[in-house]
Amino acid sequence: MGNKQTIFTDEQLDAYQDCTFFTRKEILRLHGRYHELAPHLVPMDYTNDPDVKVPLALIVNMPELKENPFRNRIVESFSEDGLGNLSFNDFVDMFSVLSEMAPRELKAIYAFKIYDFNVDNFICKEDLEKTLNKLTKEELTPEEVNLVCEKAIEESDLDGDNKLSFADFENMISRAPDFLSSLHLQHLSDTLIQNDLQSVVTGTVPPWSNSGLNVYLRDTMVVSRT
Amino acid sequence: MNAVTEPATITRVPTAKRHKSVRKNSRRIYSPYQDENPGHSDDEDKDAERVDSNDPEEMFQNIQYQKEIIANIRTRPWPMRKKLRVLKLAREIVLKYEGRLTRTRGYQAAGANVGPDKSSEFLVKTFACHFGSGVASYFIFLRWLFGINIVLTIMTGAFIVLPELLAGAPFGSTRSKTIPKEHLDSAQDLDTIWSLGGYLQYSVLFYGYYGNVRKIGSAGYRLPLAYFLVGMAVFAYSFITLLRKMAKNSRLSLASASDENYTFCWRVFCAWDYLIGNPEAAESKGAAIINSIREAIVEEQEKKKETSLAVLISLRILANILVLLSLAGSIYIIYFVVDRSQRLEQEKPELTLWEKNEVSVVVSLITMIAPSAFELVAQLEMYHPRTSLRFQLARVLVLYLGNLYSLIIALLDKVNSMSSMASPSNWSDTTAFLATISQPDEENASTPLPDMTERKNSTIATILDISRTKSTTAVVLNHTAPSNMFNRFQQDQCWETYVGQEMLKLSIIDMIFTVASILLIDFIRGLVVRYLSDCCCWDLESKFPEYGEFKIAENVLHLIYNQGMIWMGAFFSPCLPAFNVMKLIGLMYLRSWAVLTCNVPHQQVFRASRSNNFYLAMLLFMLFLCMLPTIFAIVRYRPSEHCGPFSGQEKIYDIISETIANDFPLWFSKVMGYVTSPVVVLPALLLLFMLIYYLQSIARSLKFTNNQLRMKLQTVSLNHFRMYLGGAGGASRSKSFHQMAYNPSTRYPENIHSDPLFRKSIRPEAAGIVTAQSLVGRRAHTTRYVIVNEHEARKKLMRSATRVPRHYRIADEPDDIVELYPRNIKRYAIRTPHKSYQPHFSEEEEEEEANKSTRKGSISQSHRPRSLSDLHRPARFYIGDTVDSQLSMAKDLARGVYGAHEEDWEEAECRPHSHTNPRGVETAHRHYEPQVKPKIKHKVEPSLTESDSASLASSSDQQNSSTDQYIQVIHNKEKYLKSSSKVAKKKSKTGIDFNRSGSKELVCSNV
Repeated sequence: MGNKQTIFTDEQLDAYQDCTFFTRKEILRLHGRYHELAPHLVPMDYTNDPDVKVPLALIVNMPELKENPFRNRIVESFSEDGLGNLSFNDFVDMFSVLSEMAPRELKAIYAFKIYDFNVDNFICKEDLEKTLNKLTKEELTPEEVNLVCEKAIEESDLDGDNKLSFADFENMISRAPDFLSSLHLQHLSDTLIQNDLQSVVTGTVPPWSNSGLNVYLRDTMVVSRT
Repeated sequence: MNAVTEPATITRVPTAKRHKSVRKNSRRIYSPYQDENPGHSDDEDKDAERVDSNDPEEMFQNIQYQKEIIANIRTRPWPMRKKLRVLKLAREIVLKYEGRLTRTRGYQAAGANVGPDKSSEFLVKTFACHFGSGVASYFIFLRWLFGINIVLTIMTGAFIVLPELLAGAPFGSTRSKTIPKEHLDSAQDLDTIWSLGGYLQYSVLFYGYYGNVRKIGSAGYRLPLAYFLVGMAVFAYSFITLLRKMAKNSRLSLASASDENYTFCWRVFCAWDYLIGNPEAAESKGAAIINSIREAIVEEQEKKKETSLAVLISLRILANILVLLSLAGSIYIIYFVVDRSQRLEQEKPELTLWEKNEVSVVVSLITMIAPSAFELVAQLEMYHPRTSLRFQLARVLVLYLGNLYSLIIALLDKVNSMSSMASPSNWSDTTAFLATISQPDEENASTPLPDMTERKNSTIATILDISRTKSTTAVVLNHTAPSNMFNRFQQDQCWETYVGQEMLKLSIIDMIFTVASILLIDFIRGLVVRYLSDCCCWDLESKFPEYGEFKIAENVLHLIYNQGMIWMGAFFSPCLPAFNVMKLIGLMYLRSWAVLTCNVPHQQVFRASRSNNFYLAMLLFMLFLCMLPTIFAIVRYRPSEHCGPFSGQEKIYDIISETIANDFPLWFSKVMGYVTSPVVVLPALLLLFMLIYYLQSIARSLKFTNNQLRMKLQTVSLNHFRMYLGGAGGASRSKSFHQMAYNPSTRYPENIHSDPLFRKSIRPEAAGIVTAQSLVGRRAHTTRYVIVNEHEARKKLMRSATRVPRHYRIADEPDDIVELYPRNIKRYAIRTPHKSYQPHFSEEEEEEEANKSTRKGSISQSHRPRSLSDLHRPARFYIGDTVDSQLSMAKDLARGVYGAHEEDWEEAECRPHSHTNPRGVETAHRHYEPQVKPKIKHKVEPSLTESDSASLASSSDQQNSSTDQYIQVIHNKEKYLKSSSKVAKKKSKTGIDFNRSGSKELVCSNV
């Protein structure tokens, strides 16, 4: 999208490349996605670092986030103002931290932020209740919620202050099999791949038309349903 | 920065307004950052001057440091804007100073850091955005196996098959490569091809085709040697890859520490699969989460009450009996079938298609049906789903292994039984031949087992083509065979080919059954359920047939089983890996298609998937068990006399000794002779055992330490909590002294137990700091109460300081503080010169004295007991990678957080080695020399030390937590109270310091 005009200077791209887990191409693609969110708001030219923010409501509707019960929290915890308005920097940051290449420690920090609803640097019972209600769409009875919250705090609260500090949280989450490693948004290019895959699955395009066996094997496994 | 706390309201205002407000908002928010900028440049200038004045070594260190920042910046939890700015600064510095050294030296290192971790992780791409990571783990596993098989294929293809095709004797040139005349008619029949006879049998697919000429082609390629080596390399490669993968995984998954179970926490925090991006999947996932939480609640409630145990136990016993019976039954059936096929081959001249494929079909059927049966049985047991899944997997694995083993044992038995009938048997056909050939055979081969080969020969002849009546081979033999009959038998006696054929057949039939099951059980069922549900009296979709579930565990096991077959047969059929590659590709497509169209995700989420070694452990188990029969066959049996690369040898592995004897210089064979003699082998074996024992004991001790650390962490945080509640009096003097004295970390830094100190120094720091940073502008509670603790303790200390004898000063401290902030301890070390004129020494001080003298004597820091830098490395070693990264994390965080608060943090980043670094954790080993220098200065001018170090600490130590500075200041004050000599000068200095660094702390302890 828009390789003809310059979106970023080389320098900017280099900087982004160093600060994120993305390649130049992916950053450009990310910019494309960002631009798509609010075409009238986001300029195509980012060389002079415009101060533009996309509000939460638009970001939350991205396919990567749409189904996530914690989407608002995710966006909020990555926004610099805490309100969920993401500048492009924040946007890139979000995808970088929630990419596969980000280390588990970093993810743990942001996971903690996500679950810390009232931003007091502790996951207290209130946060837990909110988490549960989001997760279960409020289908549990208050007693059940209460019980689960108590149990959860009891399990992992090491210092006995009835709320989870980051140390408690990290201690717990790092032992959870698989969670941190799978704490990432589906890859940016997935939507593109899905389209390809769809055409492959429906038979309009032969499987070998994709470039390279490796890419193909990697990408075809995006299991999707119409 | 407190703007962050505003409630979220502006998100839904109309566009124009929103635009404006966003702008305004952002300007306000970023102003603190912008304000920092002048400070930065100032610092940078100062820094520049400083670096100018320093020696190149320091400059280089500085550059290295900046590069480390550049390389790791992406892993820091800062907002992007800040990262960009820091990056720019670091780059400028690097560019500025690097020119003075060498331009190339460091960037390569930095590049090396960035490159691989990006690309390697990229490969592990998750593709199940819609079904969650569970299904993805199956495909990842499949792809990984696929990768292994590709390598195996390349190995066999490049070193065995291609040379044979290119340089080996062409088809039809030798007897073992020619289809017997009487077979030629039927060689192209589908029937023959299907049973892998005819042209297929005499092709590179199987062992028998390969010639035994020692060197082939103009280049003299040693095919037989290559064949043997590649056969072994297949196993070696598989082992190495598997083990490496497992080691990597276990490093990732902290498996050793996962004995704790956070049932509820995981169910709440880790339940959601962030990969899900599809509404349908999200819905079912939500339902599954609710179920699992309810389940946990029920479980929790039922922990108290007992169910009817008797019924349950009897049910479970019954279930186990059933499973055992079916296992035994399946093994018996396989054995029976192999036996029957053998008998049939002997008795009947013509075999039907069914009779030929009976064995593989039966085996495949059992592998298909039995798991479902086990699942039914498992329902009897009423275990928790996870437990029952484990049981199920274990049973299925045993079943698969039993199948493979009974098959291979039956096959080998078949090979064997022929040889056991040494005397002329009751066979109508072969006795005559045997009688005629016994003499020449003994002449030629003069082996102890001549008749065995005959036996195999004849049987295989009957197996392959009974209808053959006369021999027509006219190929020149390399031994004198008197009769055509004899020739014919010799030619066909390839038991290796037979085993290879059976394995390949099994693999093919297994593939067919898999495809059939996908089509029938999943696809047809899905179609029926979807389209017939309207015209049926019950709901097909939710009641009986439902949609097929994608059973990850069973499918993974099936992959493992499949791979086991490949390993078992790869030696006898070099193309088996290639076939498997194709099979896996097909399976991958078919499976993904089936998952897309007609499967629903498994109800029970099986989390033991990717970063878990469960599957891999099973695969390893399988590999080992599959290797055994092959090795056994290689070692035990004599290779076929007239086919294959090893024909004419006593044992297959003789090729090695033969090559060494013939083709290597004499000295080499001599050396090899020595090396393989018991004199060397036995001690080597012993050494190996000792090594294993040693490593194991180390692992055990590490585990122990690990446990201790965890317990300590728990007690530390509990102590903290208690202290927070005001129970600071808990630390009585004698007790704390005792603990001090026995705190291994303070006394024996090089001791293994020093890592608790390390750990403790990291943990609280990480806790406080991370929470602190998580919202810029707010102070963490953890930090807060830690500070309060310090505060109180120090106050108490100050109060008591006037009364308490001098030598109790250290001992008097509540142990928590010392344990938690080992940096303090080092401060004492720095300050020892002052204590030296005190009349009493505690043990601590005496030791410090001793150490001081050693330090005076040599600048060597390695003996300095309280430097964390010394503890640092052993701790690193013992705790392992993860903690390492944790450490670096904490380090980064520390910088980040305080960077956010103190405007001159950049300065600290830029000249980390400028002065004494009392903490020394992160910079000590890097900025080794400069750290020592001021210390020497201390000794020269003792009167300056107090104020000096205090100011230094506050100015140069921004990456330390400010808590430290606070302690530092208080500490100075305490001294100040006691020693009245240097009042004025010090007062001003400490006062400033106090204001500067301590004020923040006071503020936050007031919160």
